[in-house]
Amino acid sequence: MKLYDYILSPSCYKVRLMAALAGATLDLRAVDFHPGGEHRGPELLSLNPGGSIPILVDGDLILTESAAILVYLAAKAAPEWLGRASAEDAAREQQWLSFSGRLTTSLGGARLHEMLLRPGDLAALQAAGIAALRELEAGLVEQRLRGRNFLVSDRPTVADIACFPYVALAPDGGVSLDPYPAIRLWSRALRALPGFIEMPGIHRLHELKPEPNLEQSEV
Amino acid sequence: MRSDTTGFWTPVALSADIPSRTVIPAHVSAGTIALWRSQAGQIAASADRCPHRGMSLSHGFVRGEALSCIYHGWSYGMSGHCVRIPAHPGLTPPETIRVATHAVRDAGGVVWVAEGTPASDPPSLDGLTPLRSLTIEADRAAIEAAAGVPANADGLIEITRDGEDLCLLLSGSQQSQTGVRTVVHVLVATGSHAPQRIAASRNVERLRRMAETASANGNVQ
Amino acid sequence: MTGSDPAPYRQAMLDEWYPVGLVSQLDRAGRHTALMGEPIVVAGDADGRPIVTGGNGRILPVKVRYGHVWSSVGAPTKDIFPIPEADQPGRRFVDVGVVRVRCSPLRAVENFLDIAHFPFVHTDVLGAEPHTEVLNYTAEIRPDVDEVWATQVKFYQPQASKSASGGITTEYMYRVPAPTCSVLYKTCPPRPSEWDVITLFVQPLAEDRCDVWPWMALFDDETSMTDLIHFQQMIFLQDRSILENQIPRLLPLDPGMEIPTRADLTSIAYRRWLKRHNFTYGAQLVAR
Repeated sequence: MKLYDYILSPSCYKVRLMAALAGATLDLRAVDFHPGGEHRGPELLSLNPGGSIPILVDGDLILTESAAILVYLAAKAAPEWLGRASAEDAAREQQWLSFSGRLTTSLGGARLHEMLLRPGDLAALQAAGIAALRELEAGLVEQRLRGRNFLVSDRPTVADIACFPYVALAPDGGVSLDPYPAIRLWSRALRALPGFIEMPGIHRLHELKPEPNLEQSEV
Repeated sequence: MRSDTTGFWTPVALSADIPSRTVIPAHVSAGTIALWRSQAGQIAASADRCPHRGMSLSHGFVRGEALSCIYHGWSYGMSGHCVRIPAHPGLTPPETIRVATHAVRDAGGVVWVAEGTPASDPPSLDGLTPLRSLTIEADRAAIEAAAGVPANADGLIEITRDGEDLCLLLSGSQQSQTGVRTVVHVLVATGSHAPQRIAASRNVERLRRMAETASANGNVQ
Repeated sequence: MTGSDPAPYRQAMLDEWYPVGLVSQLDRAGRHTALMGEPIVVAGDADGRPIVTGGNGRILPVKVRYGHVWSSVGAPTKDIFPIPEADQPGRRFVDVGVVRVRCSPLRAVENFLDIAHFPFVHTDVLGAEPHTEVLNYTAEIRPDVDEVWATQVKFYQPQASKSASGGITTEYMYRVPAPTCSVLYKTCPPRPSEWDVITLFVQPLAEDRCDVWPWMALFDDETSMTDLIHFQQMIFLQDRSILENQIPRLLPLDPGMEIPTRADLTSIAYRRWLKRHNFTYGAQLVAR
């Protein structure tokens, strides 16, 4: 499986993260998104006329929507990441996978504007991002009251991975995460999963490692 | 909570929202503080600024009984004293390197931070269980108007209507970029069941929309 | 124009050159940006030559160097600082691209001069616990060139560069030749007798906002250009969330405001040099 990837893209990171958690191996092909704009060049447009990344190519199959890529990776390598134990779970999973598109547009748009100077109405993007964060917070509170720590069930699924990156990187676009305690706990639970990998802007949870015994002049 | 003239307790967060080995930002009238819980479960509050290079400590991490800065790993104990500078492993940090701390209480499922020197304990929340905290972009008056009742002396708004029982514990309001914001802790009757609690969470979302709409339209003084 | 400037403390930095765009991205429509609070437009003419226009339509001085367009809202009396390695055959020049940060341009440079944060911010790449110790090194203001220099800086790095295959102790030299620019010379594993050059060019948009333009001149014939760009973008984006959360946003020059240690000798020399030259755009002089 070949992933057309960009280190700073939260959507590409979703795919790398899912693969890491599922134990799947990806062949990464770096795309010069910034400053080169390679995603709008002839080679990539022939794979994805929509001009976006990530793009996953597996034999004859070309996927250009990150939610679909997550589902594909999970179905192939780690079906326990699909939340389909009941009709309700399947619907919740689809609900949050679709919802993740709103996070991309709003929080992702604010981030691209603030960080990489892409055009956009910053105030409108931030307001839409805050509205989405409030919905996610309320959803997580309700799940916790049902005894479930994640968006679909009591274990993480593709829905959590689809929503996590743009949420965790909201401050890059000038949107604070301070007002959302349930999101903070959920984010921490995801970051503490075995096999979790970071992307720039998401720091290592150093508390998971014991304090090293430091000795002087060890170098 | 203004219980006397020398100081008061501000409810800044729910205990359940700060598990062991975590740090979060919290707001008191003086500004933002770093609120953290040690591995052993002790709660502590300090200034949200590492004196080394000014980095916000609420972005840091908690190991054992110390809070560390994410930037260079400088660590501070419960008392605020710097206990470790990783760049100089052999150095015992001088006593003068420290962060200001605040008295803090973990009572009734709520974390309270002292502002001034409170003469009494934080108010009792008997019969109530904390549900969630949320931030409302409005001041206390707008929230009281949306609730239809004023807060009592402990800062509690008790709403009983249409068979719903809901209690709001108001923190102090702070100025924000867009106006005034207030942190509100939602409490429900101890012993209530999940469906009632989910309904309470949805009701408070509705109340927030009312308060914010009224506030944005300038309907509240 | 400069005589009527409402903030005379900016004066000392007004006459400096600053990066304002990539030569490779010049176009007729122009990049609408700012320099020290003044709106500017960086465009290319029909022949691809850069033209920089200031707030009231005045034409600003312009130079092309190190892959970037440089300009000034004042009247520069000196040339842009030299980087002799930029003329050395066999190096690859990497335009990393712009990243905006809500912080003082001086804070961005100071962070670039710092190594003690590597294990915590660039974990498992430029540093890793337990290798946190900063060994003694030398930092000075060199009177002959009037630049800040730090030498004999050594640090253990798990993945020092894109092409590194394991941990090594890397040696660094830092140089600050202009108030918002720094040049890093770093161990070059493929050519032990040479240094890789990694720079941070910072465009001050305002005192608390900047556009950062990293640029590199490397000996590396194996790694793809895109991989080189992404490695450096990864490193800088790990720093960005730190820079946006330092309090105050301006760089404090009052010694009572922050506590340096021996590991911060480069920063101490940099702050001293800024003060000496009254380079205080983006600095906080008195605690408040």
